[in-house]
Amino acid sequence: MVGNNPAVKNKIEVKDLTKRFGDLLVLDKINFSVAEGEFLSIVGPTGCGKTTFLNLLSTLMPSSEGNIYIDGDVADPTKHNLAFVFQEPTCLPWRTVRENVAFGMEVKNVPEAVKEERLDEIMDMVGLMDCANLYPNQVSASMVQRIAVARAFSVNPDLLLMDEPYGQLDVKLRYYLEDELVALQNKLKSTVIFVTHNIEEAVYVADRILVLSNKPTNVRAEVVVDLPRPRNPMDPKFVEIREHVTELIRWW
Amino acid sequence: MSFAEVKITKEPLMVILPILSIVAFFGIWQSLLSFGVVPSSLLASPLQVLKLFIAKWTQVNPDGALLTTHMWTSIQEAFTGYILALLVGIPLGLAMGWFPIVEGLARPIFELIRPIPPIAWIPLTIFWFGIGIPGKVFIIWIAGIVPCVINSYVGVKMTNPVLIQMARTYGASNWQIFIKICIPSALPMVFGALQIALAYCWTNLVGAELLAADNGLGFMITMGRRLAMPDMVLLGMAMVGLTGAVIGVIIDAVEKRLLAGIRR
Ligand SMILES: Nc1ncnc2c1ncn2[C@@H]1O[C@H](COP(=O)(O)OP(=O)(O)O)[C@@H](O)[C@H]1O
Ligand SMILES: [Mg+2]
Repeated sequence: MVGNNPAVKNKIEVKDLTKRFGDLLVLDKINFSVAEGEFLSIVGPTGCGKTTFLNLLSTLMPSSEGNIYIDGDVADPTKHNLAFVFQEPTCLPWRTVRENVAFGMEVKNVPEAVKEERLDEIMDMVGLMDCANLYPNQVSASMVQRIAVARAFSVNPDLLLMDEPYGQLDVKLRYYLEDELVALQNKLKSTVIFVTHNIEEAVYVADRILVLSNKPTNVRAEVVVDLPRPRNPMDPKFVEIREHVTELIRWW
Repeated sequence: MSFAEVKITKEPLMVILPILSIVAFFGIWQSLLSFGVVPSSLLASPLQVLKLFIAKWTQVNPDGALLTTHMWTSIQEAFTGYILALLVGIPLGLAMGWFPIVEGLARPIFELIRPIPPIAWIPLTIFWFGIGIPGKVFIIWIAGIVPCVINSYVGVKMTNPVLIQMARTYGASNWQIFIKICIPSALPMVFGALQIALAYCWTNLVGAELLAADNGLGFMITMGRRLAMPDMVLLGMAMVGLTGAVIGVIIDAVEKRLLAGIRR
């Protein structure tokens, strides 16, 4: 059912994933898989359980039923290489920008030399070199999200989870950061699950979009976005896909 | 511009008023005794206290030790107890904030001991240590450890949960999260404890010396009472206040420097 290309193996398998908070059924038997190196977007109305869903995927929260498999094994952050870019800023205020980016590699005990080399590379790619020695409260909101993105990519994650990372930023900055994100993903070939309630954003970045229903939430549709990159939001084909996804959401 | 103007009109006043109040305070105090309004058996005049202060630099009697000896004893006791309180209290509080086992085991006992005023331990410490320095160090340790534990504990508890989640998603162990997230995030609160703990230590030191000592500033105050010398009582009080203030200023500077090192 998944991975546009059958030659690429499935990296992530989600099976019957269910979450209840007491009597409230939020996620109802979600099933899907993600191919290695795929950029998957998940869109759904606010409050449908997107954040909950990512919390389950990252195993921050136990599921009520069902499991997530990475390369066939049940997901475990101490074993698998996960990274999570949160909706909220998650920079450590007592570390410089560079030290913040290094945090993930530090936790994973990446050897010092490798760490420094990758830091240089990734900081350069996301344009953080100039503010490497500043503290998070000295840089702008978009820089703060870039730090989180750079930190996430720096560990070469098997699975990168992103929860509306650019939700708080203005439109112009957003396109810029989305381009940067797509370029990073293209270069580093990470498997990404990108959650958003912004349909245009989803169509702009993703290889494939999963559309979630209202609570109790299920995967209601799947839309493959086979547009060349860089994408143009004014392109009639882009608009067509965007409207199709919008229709799918409105319908439920 | 207007900010600077406001400052100029305000500053001289803020210099004059404190001087005025201090001069008035000592002036009235001195004249109360000079004109015999208050009998000298009840209170000594500032000049008498000053005279004794000068004499006590070289004169051992009547209380048995030089002023500097008393001060040195008190400072030694206070600092030993203070440092021990920091060394035990801060790690304990930090660990209580993060490890449920430590919290579960230590918290009930801590809550049990906390409401007991430190000087209530004096009789026991006399049984255990006599009236020498160790007993006082124990009292001061008890006094100083409370704010250290509380501030460190609260500091860890106040760690932004999203930062902890972020570390978890990278596969950080409990210990890594404690060291790399919780402790740095608690540091401002921990530094806040330095000042509070010192105040507790110093106050309780004097309390302890009043009751059980043969040396120290608190002892000097007690001797003043026994010898019916109000000037010695007042000199002891003044030295306690001055020394405490000086130590406070030093700790404040240390704290500022430490904080500047970790926060911008
Ligand atoms: N810890 C929780 N306890 C109870 N209900 C929760 C909890 N977390 C989320 N929910 C509920 O689950 C639903 C989905 O929340 P969330 O995943 O944050 O949605 P989204 O990210 O899509 O906006 C909401 O109705 C919310 O009230
Ligand atoms: Mg959300």
